[in-house]
Amino acid sequence: MPLRENQDKLIMDKKVVDISSKILNVTPEDPKVIPETEEKDPNYWRSFRELYNDPDFLKEKKNEFQPGSLDRPDENSFSKFSRRKFLALLSASAAVAATGCSNFRDKGEIVPYNKKPESVTIGLPTYYASTCTGCSYACGILIKTIEGRPIKVDGNPDHPVSKGKICAIAQASVMNLYDPERLKNPLERADRNNSKETAWADADEKIINQLKSISSSGKEIAIVTHTVNSPSLKKLLTEDFRTAYPGSKVYSYELYSESARNSAFEKCYGAKLFPVVQLDKANVILALESDFLGTEGNKVENSRMYSERRDIYNGSEFNRLYAVEGNASVTGMNADYRIILRTDAIEEFVLCLLNEFILKEKLSGFTADAAVSAKLQSYDLKGFISKNNLNEEAIKHLVSDLRKNTGSSFVSAGSMLPESTHIAVNLLNEVLGNTNLYVKDVQNIEQIPLSTKAELENLISGLKSGKTGAVIHLDSNPVYHFPSEYGYADALKNAGLVISLTESVNETSEAGNFILPVNSMFESWGDFQTRSNFASLQQPVIAPLYNTRQKEDILLTWIKGSKDSYNPDLYHQYISGNWKNTFLPGAASDMQFGKEWNAALNDGAVKVRQNTAAGITETTAFKQETFANTNFRLKAGSEYVLLLTRSFTLGDGRFANNGWLQELPKPLSRIVWDNYAAVSVQTAKALGLKSNDKISVTTPAGKTELPVFIQPGTAEGVIAAELGYGRSVCGTVGKDVGVNTNKLISGNPQVSMFMYNDVKIEKVPGFYELISTQEHYAFDEPLLKDIQFRREIIQEGTYLEFKETPDFLHHRHTKYSEEETEKLKVGSINEQYDHTGTKWGMAIDLNKCTGCNECAAACNVENNIPIVGKDQVKANREMQWIRIDRYYSGTPEVPKTSFQPMLCQHCDFAPCENVCPVAATTHSADGLNAMAYNRCVGTRYCSNNCPYKVRRFNYFNFRDRFRDSVQLEESFSLMANPEVTVRSRGVMEKCTFCIQRIMEERQNAIQENRYIIGSNVKTACQEACNTNAITFGDKNDKESELYKLVNSSIAYSVLEEIKVKPNISYLAKLRNVYETDKTSQEH
Amino acid sequence: MKNFLLDYNLKVRLPVLIFVVLAVFTITYYVSYAERNGIGNMPAQPIAYSHKLHAGDLKIDCRYCHSDVDKSRHANVPSAKVCMNCHSIARKDKPEIIKLTDYYTRGVPIEWKRVHRVPDFAYFNHSVHVNKGIDCSNCHGNVAAMEVVEQVKDFTMRACLDCHRNPEAGIKNIIPGKENLQINNGPQNCSACHR
Repeated sequence: MPLRENQDKLIMDKKVVDISSKILNVTPEDPKVIPETEEKDPNYWRSFRELYNDPDFLKEKKNEFQPGSLDRPDENSFSKFSRRKFLALLSASAAVAATGCSNFRDKGEIVPYNKKPESVTIGLPTYYASTCTGCSYACGILIKTIEGRPIKVDGNPDHPVSKGKICAIAQASVMNLYDPERLKNPLERADRNNSKETAWADADEKIINQLKSISSSGKEIAIVTHTVNSPSLKKLLTEDFRTAYPGSKVYSYELYSESARNSAFEKCYGAKLFPVVQLDKANVILALESDFLGTEGNKVENSRMYSERRDIYNGSEFNRLYAVEGNASVTGMNADYRIILRTDAIEEFVLCLLNEFILKEKLSGFTADAAVSAKLQSYDLKGFISKNNLNEEAIKHLVSDLRKNTGSSFVSAGSMLPESTHIAVNLLNEVLGNTNLYVKDVQNIEQIPLSTKAELENLISGLKSGKTGAVIHLDSNPVYHFPSEYGYADALKNAGLVISLTESVNETSEAGNFILPVNSMFESWGDFQTRSNFASLQQPVIAPLYNTRQKEDILLTWIKGSKDSYNPDLYHQYISGNWKNTFLPGAASDMQFGKEWNAALNDGAVKVRQNTAAGITETTAFKQETFANTNFRLKAGSEYVLLLTRSFTLGDGRFANNGWLQELPKPLSRIVWDNYAAVSVQTAKALGLKSNDKISVTTPAGKTELPVFIQPGTAEGVIAAELGYGRSVCGTVGKDVGVNTNKLISGNPQVSMFMYNDVKIEKVPGFYELISTQEHYAFDEPLLKDIQFRREIIQEGTYLEFKETPDFLHHRHTKYSEEETEKLKVGSINEQYDHTGTKWGMAIDLNKCTGCNECAAACNVENNIPIVGKDQVKANREMQWIRIDRYYSGTPEVPKTSFQPMLCQHCDFAPCENVCPVAATTHSADGLNAMAYNRCVGTRYCSNNCPYKVRRFNYFNFRDRFRDSVQLEESFSLMANPEVTVRSRGVMEKCTFCIQRIMEERQNAIQENRYIIGSNVKTACQEACNTNAITFGDKNDKESELYKLVNSSIAYSVLEEIKVKPNISYLAKLRNVYETDKTSQEH
Repeated sequence: MKNFLLDYNLKVRLPVLIFVVLAVFTITYYVSYAERNGIGNMPAQPIAYSHKLHAGDLKIDCRYCHSDVDKSRHANVPSAKVCMNCHSIARKDKPEIIKLTDYYTRGVPIEWKRVHRVPDFAYFNHSVHVNKGIDCSNCHGNVAAMEVVEQVKDFTMRACLDCHRNPEAGIKNIIPGKENLQINNGPQNCSACHR
């Protein structure tokens, strides 16, 4: 069929629908068209505005620069210098310079070390193994320092859990170290509004005296901390501090905890903590509202184990992921079958499954007690499916898959589900024999158990009654984190002495008498043990930037009881003293121990020889009476369900002042700088909501107003909001960003801390603009118009199809005649290379990409990418070099999601090069499309001509423009990667394939007198990718991994038909579903 | 009268004016060329260190002090500690050595004046050149003969590219022992130096 005709047909097929007027901010008179959503065309869409062909959006698509990007800046915000005055000053200074200058321009100084440390080679990085303290999982990290400055954090390959990978928060953590708003000196506060800097010695003396008198008067000294996962800190707090101050007690809490999962497991099996699960051995995974690839558990480890079974080359079959969820999570959107179900109906669903397996199918290997059978009697899967209008086909597959894979499947229940659901899921895993996958010889370890609710209530009542005389906040922020019903901030007023040991001011330190600045994780010693088989070490890689102290050193000084006993090596000595007895025992001499200690520091983690942790064994039996005695009362209600989810980027809010994280788009909504209430299309319709409207949410704990975002794929009646936003006492970057949803957490929740099934939702007047990066860089070139419906940016198939015909993709997609191809060919006016030597290329495996954005976080750090701020993201001016495009297909109610990392494709015939008037962007013989910033005059022609829309223009010196130039503070200049230019206003930039790392390999190759080995170069995104979806290397190296991938039968390049010959190959996503996807075959 | 004036202006004044302007321009251009590119730059150093004495007369290898030149992008300037390897014993009583010892004992780095400089946006790499056998003198001149180091070669992009395009003409001296390394044309793409 000729192209033109085909397109006309598609346009004619569109029909009018009225739902769009409900969703979009448009008047009903506008003729609305919707492309046919019948199955033959997945017709990928990125937003509602695109799906419903919003006329404004169509108009915007025609333009390279969307509304806002070309707006004149507000002149009032500029410097008051007039041009005339500027020129006058310029000439005056030139004149002064001319008269005052010597013969030669001064070239500055070279300042070498006085005594150079042996390990430093100027210009070469040094790597230190350490441990991340961003959350309680304590991943192993490798810190890259250049001339003493930490500039990049990556995973430590020798760490047994994280195995060389870390999350976005750890990637961006260098910004926390250099944050200019960190506390620089100890503060003493006479009262709330009056704080003054003080000396450490004075503060120590006063505090020690007060602690002593409080302790001797028999009052309690409360130490409030996050999870303690350090054996030495545990010893320090529970032994030494308690000996020195007998009244002291440790309270540890976590905003997001696995307490429901753990307590359910303890009730079922008697072991305290949920075991480690071998996800990589699971053929079938069922995620029940469980976002294990995104925000739950050790995401890094889970992603690795999950994606190992998504590799067409590793020999094992693909796993199949089922998700049953109400919230649209990253895990759900990666699932092969996603069954949308209200979160409060999940418990019933599990019980129906149990009924199916225990009573109907009578799976062998498990004999149910009569009480258990009686309990399950009333549940029926068939009835449940029809009652909830579920996809029967999918559930049939689920049941048969679980039965077929007994002993090699896993059911994961989400942290927000109540204990009762976890108990039911434990039974389900037991029935299915999945306890096979629980690791028996390695256990999770908790150093100090998290305080129970009763203990925390004790703390508060102690404060109120005056029984507790002093509170020490050990790098924690309970005023922000505790449910407001606790009234913690008020209770604190009764304490005589409130001390905050913190990196920067927070809500809790505001209520303190003393605010003591502590070292960041880059300046601290530490040891950690989270699993029974290994322990890891943290070491400082830079001397404290400010007048701060390590928090353990502060405590040790107080323990010793004299201000003079402080020295910055106290805790280091303390840890190594402990390790002599625990992890590195039996050294014959101090020298021998020193060697072992240094080896441990070098590796970052050591094996633990003595495994003392008690966990489950092969013979641990499931306690059926637990299940029989559990009251399953969670039922799908008719009211709205509120889910409070873990923030994808900000953790529990402690990273709010990290602009890189604030500006990292959330995986699905692509929204930056805000949290919001995600509602389904149906709910929005029912409540008459549009995106950006405001609703009020009322839980038993409180009421909050939130902006609305219509999230496709959310279950009807489910509202999800992220925690960790709305910090009121924070640095300039994070202050008052988003809405504090912690206020909605109830101290006595009926279901669980993060799930409320009795919330009231009301539309409230008002409008709040949420900014999503997803509509950016949509385009509609006249040249390409004819093929817009056949562009095949995303190509997909099914795993079964692939198994049958590995090269099915190429059968499916040969559609251009020679004639057409010739017509479409884009040539290059530049010199063309034959690319016979090294040729750089990249392969991105879409089977493994979970859309998590780690790559973007790593790229920001490696390539000195500035924060631009919400207003600039709104104007399409975000600067991130790599973005993950998220496409939906299907209907808004039941979307299928496809993720695709998009970055500069380094085309052989790069269209950008043809149009640059000053040859600032050119090609190299090794296949790189390079930018010479100094040549760039900022015409932006290249960006206009780029088919992939991956070029970023510096409309401003963003570092200067954002939040009172906070990025120009001196400390931030230490953070920049010295191997990459810091770009200023007026130049274009884009992904360089980490040219600095390529040059490092070239330097090594020349040093060793060998050829460049492509696989030695790892780009920042590749190093960061949790699932190893990205492979970089030399396309001409036939031995390399990349060569294999690029020539894979499912490899394709985006917009192949325009013949620009991109050097990035994508491996088509294979969905592991039973149905052969006819939709994508009939192109 | 009128004709004469016109003639005079056209035939005499104008050519003279043009000549003067061009001459001034040309002379300024050539006279200031070296200065603009830094050729002849010979700043006074905080310690009157003589390369002629150390590298020339005593024949100390460049890499004894500039030890990272074949490892990293930077040819490091030695720390005071390196000087003290010898000077904790040698010539302790000389005034310049007393100055040096003073820096060393106080723990203060010596702020050497920079002689050569490529701009920040160019990422020159010493090690890739030195490891190919290209002798220091090709760019830095015969430092072993200089009492005070001065810049003798052009450090402009043109100078870089001239040599990258035609290394036979540019490279006069090869590091002894590395004669058999093949020196190809240097990379001429932007990303070789600019990133």
